[in-house]
Amino acid sequence: MIRFDRVTKRYGHRAVVDSVSLEVRKGGLCVLLGESGSGKSTLMRMVNRMVEPDAGRVMLDGTDIANVPPESLRHGIGYVIQSVGLFPHWRVADNIATVPRLLGWDAARVASRVDALLQLVGLPPEDFRARYPHELSGGQAQRIGLARALAADPPVLLMDEPFSALDPGIRRGLQVALRRIHAETAKTILFVTHDVEEALLLADELAVMQDGRLLAHGRPAEVLRRDADPVVKRLFGEATLAFHRLGTLRAANAARPASATQPAEAQLPILPPDSNLKQALMLMLESGTDQVALPGGATLHLSDILAAA
Amino acid sequence: MRLPHRAVPLLAQAAAFLLALWAAPHLGALWGAPFPDVQRPVWDQRGWFALLGAHLMLSVGAVVIAAALGLGGGILATRGQGRLRPLLDALFALAQSVPPIAAIALALPLLGFGAAPTMLALVLYACLPVLRGTVAGLDGVAPAVLDAARGTGMGAARVLWQVELPLAAPVILSGLRVAVVLSIATAAVGAMAGAECLGTPIVVGLANNNGAYVLQGGLFTAWLALLADRALALLAR
Amino acid sequence: MAQARPATLARDLATRAPPPPVPREATAAALLAALAASLPFLLGWLSIAANRLVSPRPVSLPLHGGTGLGAACFVLGCLGVALLARRRSLLPWAEVTAGLALLALLATLGLGAGAALDGGARLARAAPGAGFWLAALSLLLSAGCCAAGRDAAREGEAAGATPTRFLAVAVPGIVLLVASGVLDPLSLMREAASRGPELQAALWRHALLAAGALALAGLVAVPLSLLALRRPRLEAALMALANGLQVVPSIALFGLLMAPLAGLAAVWPALRGWGIGGIGAAPAVIGISAYLLLPLAAGLLSGLRQAPADILDAARGQGMGEGAILRHIRLPLGAGAMLGGLRTAAVQAVGLATLAALVGAGGLGAIVFQGIGQLAADLILLGVLPVVGLSLCIDAALAAAQAALAPAGRRG
Repeated sequence: MIRFDRVTKRYGHRAVVDSVSLEVRKGGLCVLLGESGSGKSTLMRMVNRMVEPDAGRVMLDGTDIANVPPESLRHGIGYVIQSVGLFPHWRVADNIATVPRLLGWDAARVASRVDALLQLVGLPPEDFRARYPHELSGGQAQRIGLARALAADPPVLLMDEPFSALDPGIRRGLQVALRRIHAETAKTILFVTHDVEEALLLADELAVMQDGRLLAHGRPAEVLRRDADPVVKRLFGEATLAFHRLGTLRAANAARPASATQPAEAQLPILPPDSNLKQALMLMLESGTDQVALPGGATLHLSDILAAA
Repeated sequence: MRLPHRAVPLLAQAAAFLLALWAAPHLGALWGAPFPDVQRPVWDQRGWFALLGAHLMLSVGAVVIAAALGLGGGILATRGQGRLRPLLDALFALAQSVPPIAAIALALPLLGFGAAPTMLALVLYACLPVLRGTVAGLDGVAPAVLDAARGTGMGAARVLWQVELPLAAPVILSGLRVAVVLSIATAAVGAMAGAECLGTPIVVGLANNNGAYVLQGGLFTAWLALLADRALALLAR
Repeated sequence: MAQARPATLARDLATRAPPPPVPREATAAALLAALAASLPFLLGWLSIAANRLVSPRPVSLPLHGGTGLGAACFVLGCLGVALLARRRSLLPWAEVTAGLALLALLATLGLGAGAALDGGARLARAAPGAGFWLAALSLLLSAGCCAAGRDAAREGEAAGATPTRFLAVAVPGIVLLVASGVLDPLSLMREAASRGPELQAALWRHALLAAGALALAGLVAVPLSLLALRRPRLEAALMALANGLQVVPSIALFGLLMAPLAGLAAVWPALRGWGIGGIGAAPAVIGISAYLLLPLAAGLLSGLRQAPADILDAARGQGMGEGAILRHIRLPLGAGAMLGGLRTAAVQAVGLATLAALVGAGGLGAIVFQGIGQLAADLILLGVLPVVGLSLCIDAALAAAQAALAPAGRRG
């Protein structure tokens, strides 16, 4: 759906984005992960031509976006930024309705779309549609920002560290909400973050950037595997890499099947279904045991985790 | 309008002002009291209301032109990369050092006596607060809001009209307020160049050693300026 | 080793720091300099009138000898400004060059006027044309742009666009030109020559009036500000008064002061002996000082409050009394902001003193009013130019002092 073809961007003599080629498949949630200054935001902003590349092309659904006028391009791409950027002098409903109004939708259609979107992001329409941005909390504001981006039902969503300024609890809720919305709407999402946990929670595909270069790209489990690119290992730190790798491995795959010779399993702490090895390890630490049980009777030992990592 | 109860004291003052203007020719004893040597203490060379009207036309007219120029200039200065900004700073620095009377006097040889040189000077002076306010207001719009606006596909003109200007409006209006008060005060000086206004009695009085004229002119000029300031402060809220 | 050098040299050249970006002031400054260079040629350097009664007619500049040389220097100077402005580190030099260009402009004008009048009747008058005035204005603004660029690097009170270096070059240069007699053929100089003592007296008087008003306003503002520092209600009242006074038109205030002062002098004739009466310096000085209250008080309060709360806390913790805190902490740290208030007040004082002539206080305004009465441009200029020059110089001098003091405050 989105294809970067050897894109480069220079500021002065420094290459902020250095010959990056990347493909984001349709309907996927691709996370651009990297530290500050890695060029991830700049790369993302090339998709809606907020930044123009100095070399290379960006293709959107097969078309070179350099041939599309920026304004109409942006009408078809949702854009969510860290500081939200809601218009302070417009109500929530008007903020969400920005692009639909630009596209000339009639008032009735706009109003019903606004209400539908507010429900989608988990905010009761009657309560929120008439509020002003200064009457919103940080988390609520970013949900509205997301609703605004989705308003004209664009196929692509660009999100630039949207949850980084929020408290951890709020951030968690929004991450879960995003996963749900992605599952429901099947949009192509390009998500930029520097938070590894967030990346692992959200990503279908992970793209790691450093100093303007693309270091690794693929499913999270592939990117974080034991024999990953040494540069990736150095970026994360080996120990952290291993720890995060646990998060990509399903506990069920490493567990031992239920057996009659373990009568004490009734007292073992139980993992929630679909847990990964990281959650299993944390449960062990919390309970002070070296075994946990899975629903369905299988058990997992600490040694199993070490073997799988 | 929402403000009737707050506007009442202001309206009362305005009424008192107009009443005083109407009654002035009859208060000879009052004007003459501090100046027993003056033989004709009552100003009667031109009706007070005519002077008031001329004064307001001059000031308000200048502010309208200055507002257009200042707003336009301020918008231009904040476009692009602010290449025009240093020019504005230089203009402000220079303008501080040129008193209004000097500007009016310099315009005289070019435009002759009358309202014209005063009008020119008024427009130039009133431009500056509007420029300042426009630039400050537009600068104050959060960059995130502008980024988001561009990101939704709004064109530059639409962003200016629907986002930047409404958000900058309070600061722009406060600049406009300064411009109006400045304009009313400076118009009075224009009497020196032959402009007809509430300052005319002051100038005539000074020329003819008639303290009573000076008192009347000074009183009403100051009163008008204070009224205007009060009115605009009220409007600002 | 010798073989390795070319390779390392090539690598060093490749990674050498990129050329610095052109400062944004460059566009405005260069544009204005280009304008300045072309305007005199387009709109006329000089106008000649056969006698006082006839209006001046534009005359083309005789471009040979000294005049041609001067014009060439002027154009080169403008070019220099445009080129030097392209580097941020050279902006101060661009400003200086603008000053030199102005001097060249003036010299060319004087020499040209002399050459054009040569052989003409004694009553003939030479006045600068529109092109000259606009060029001079453009150069001044161009210098201001360069100055804005310089101060933009330093944040805080000292920011502003007063062209200090330009004035530092131009003002002594103009004095030199005047003394050397190059500008004598101009009608303005002839007017100045014929009114020499009057002009000098007016200038002196003008400065005294401004200084007197500053002193009076300071006498009121300083104690009130010190008291208002910790008394919010007093501060609110003080600010309300100072702001309210700003609204009153100056001409009205001067006029309104005449009556009570005349009355006072009638009651206490001794006051007349001191020069206090309805007419004269008294209403002017009192009136001007009323307007200076706001900048002085605001500057003082802002300066006194510059000291961060934690430093004050530490000082009190060490046992410093309020007086000592004032002397050792507030004043040094706040000097920059206080000077800023003084600077605004001083410039306003000089401008307002122009109107003082209305109430009989003398000063440069008297010359301006004479010019207005006779509709004589030269007289008007004779009065206005010194006022503007004086204002600019005071502004520049205090700006320099402010810049010198502010960083020291920050370092503390």
